[in-house]
Amino acid sequence: MIEKKFKKILLVDDDIDLLEQNKLLLESRGFTIVTAESGEDGFKVFQKEKPDAAIIDLIMEQMDSGFVLSYKIKKTEHGKKIPVFILTSATYETGFKFSASSAEEKEWIKCDGILNKPVVVEELIAKLENYNPVACK
Amino acid sequence: MNEKKINILIVDDENGLRLGAQRLLQDEGYEVETAENGETGINLGTSKNFDVAVIDLKMPDVDGLDVLKEIKSKYPNTICFIATAFASYDTAIQSTRLGAFGYIPKPFTPEELIYQIELGVKQRELIIESDRLKKEREENLLEIAYEKSRLNTIIKSISDGVLVINRVGEVVYFNYAALKFLNICELKIGDAAILKLPEKILNLITKIFAAETILLKTFTTQIELLPNNELVIEAACTPVPHPDGNIAGVVIVISNITQFKQIEQIKSQFVSMVAHELKTPLAAVQGFLNIMLDDTIPLDKEKEKDYLARSVIRLNGLKDLVNDLLDISKIELKAKQREIEEIHIQDIIHNTIQLLELELKKKNISIDTTIEQDLPIIKADQNEITRMITNLLSNAIKYNKENGKIFIDALTKKNYVSIRIKDTGIGMKPEETSELFNEFYRAKNEKTRGISGTGLGLTIVKRIVDSYHGKVEVESEYNNGTTFIINLPINNN
Repeated sequence: MIEKKFKKILLVDDDIDLLEQNKLLLESRGFTIVTAESGEDGFKVFQKEKPDAAIIDLIMEQMDSGFVLSYKIKKTEHGKKIPVFILTSATYETGFKFSASSAEEKEWIKCDGILNKPVVVEELIAKLENYNPVACK
Repeated sequence: MNEKKINILIVDDENGLRLGAQRLLQDEGYEVETAENGETGINLGTSKNFDVAVIDLKMPDVDGLDVLKEIKSKYPNTICFIATAFASYDTAIQSTRLGAFGYIPKPFTPEELIYQIELGVKQRELIIESDRLKKEREENLLEIAYEKSRLNTIIKSISDGVLVINRVGEVVYFNYAALKFLNICELKIGDAAILKLPEKILNLITKIFAAETILLKTFTTQIELLPNNELVIEAACTPVPHPDGNIAGVVIVISNITQFKQIEQIKSQFVSMVAHELKTPLAAVQGFLNIMLDDTIPLDKEKEKDYLARSVIRLNGLKDLVNDLLDISKIELKAKQREIEEIHIQDIIHNTIQLLELELKKKNISIDTTIEQDLPIIKADQNEITRMITNLLSNAIKYNKENGKIFIDALTKKNYVSIRIKDTGIGMKPEETSELFNEFYRAKNEKTRGISGTGLGLTIVKRIVDSYHGKVEVESEYNNGTTFIINLPINNN
């Protein structure tokens, strides 16, 4: 916990309640959090703050705003080096069939994983700690 | 035949014998007519269908065999005897060839005559009975053939596919719908089913044939012929028991269940969306509570109160969502059991405005209503129309600007009452307008942020309007306000 690979995390969510909750939880674990409430703002904050990781809500303005933002981030030099996770409550249980786990989906969805809402902070931190940039495109 | 007296014709030129035989037979209970020569014999014998005829072989005018021939050609079932004193082997054969039943040598005793006549009568009865049976059988066959062709026509014309295979797996019957569904170009009676039918159906047939006892139930399988539920069929395979206790074959009925599958899909998509929409506010409330319970996160009293208040807002949203969902299911039920009464649109509009007065005041929005004099009364369910106006008006307030205006018009347009609700609010982009009536769709942009809603309000409006065979239209200009126009038919029942 003392030596953190990821100090600054970008959180993007249009649900201000969830955004604030996740910010508080991660801050309490020693991270610095920058936030945005839309995909568009998310990219601006990303470019300005150069965070060490990004966690993005999937459905914002559009059904796939999260994927679009993640794609844009991953196309930048800095974005290629950092883990980007998509956060969503649209899962298999609720009938939305994507997981970004197959090779084909990874080809299309430029993110490092999908996380279910509500987020479990310990799980999220573990995912960040285990992130291996070599394994990613 | 028993009630009617048996008719006998006697043809003989010898008076004594003719009249003697007549008397004898009349005493036995027969009806007897006589002819004293061949010509009279022919005339009488061909004038009606005698049961029995006794014909003398040698007569001065016409030969007995000719009389026999004439009678037989007219009435083949008349039992004819040839009587003669000049009995010879040749004439016996000849008369039998011509259709005579028997040969009575002269002179004969009364017993001999009666015995022969009785034999003849019995034969006659047998012939008539066999004729009757033959006719009956022919009629039955005709009826069966008719029934068969009728069944054929019925089966050929039904839209479900029907295919029958026998116990060795040959196709023994099919209609054209079956070929169409199974996409088989050519099929003949006697073709092996295994070469023609899809694997899923073959599996069922195999299962039916493999069973030790006949399974008297139907096995079904669904086959997606075109992807994405564009064409789905259901094949129902039922074993046909043979009277010998084995399986005679299997009847396969194929029906098109595409529409059913599509409805099922829409329903399950809706359930998925509902689950997702319910999960989000729950997650928000749960998140706030977890943070308040988390000792590692320091919160002051004010922050705690803020989080509780925000939780309440999310729970209220959840409650609204549940209510909207219940309303939707009510509309679906109500299509069958709604309370139709005469309603005055202007009253509903005024009541709704009063109900929403608080929200109007909050944003300082003024309302301008123009309602046509003598607006026709329409027949509808009061609650549904109220709900429809409420949803539209509360949207007009929610998405309006501070100090904005709302215009409500109601007027007659041909056979419709047309209600127009126009606001001076944030408006919509064209791509947003097109998705507006979809379940859970909410335009999301910088202007709508912070406005709460279930995403079902306009879905409910559309469903209500549709259920009255009305029309709903929307016109909108981004940043410049939105107008909803509802047209409800006047003469609806």
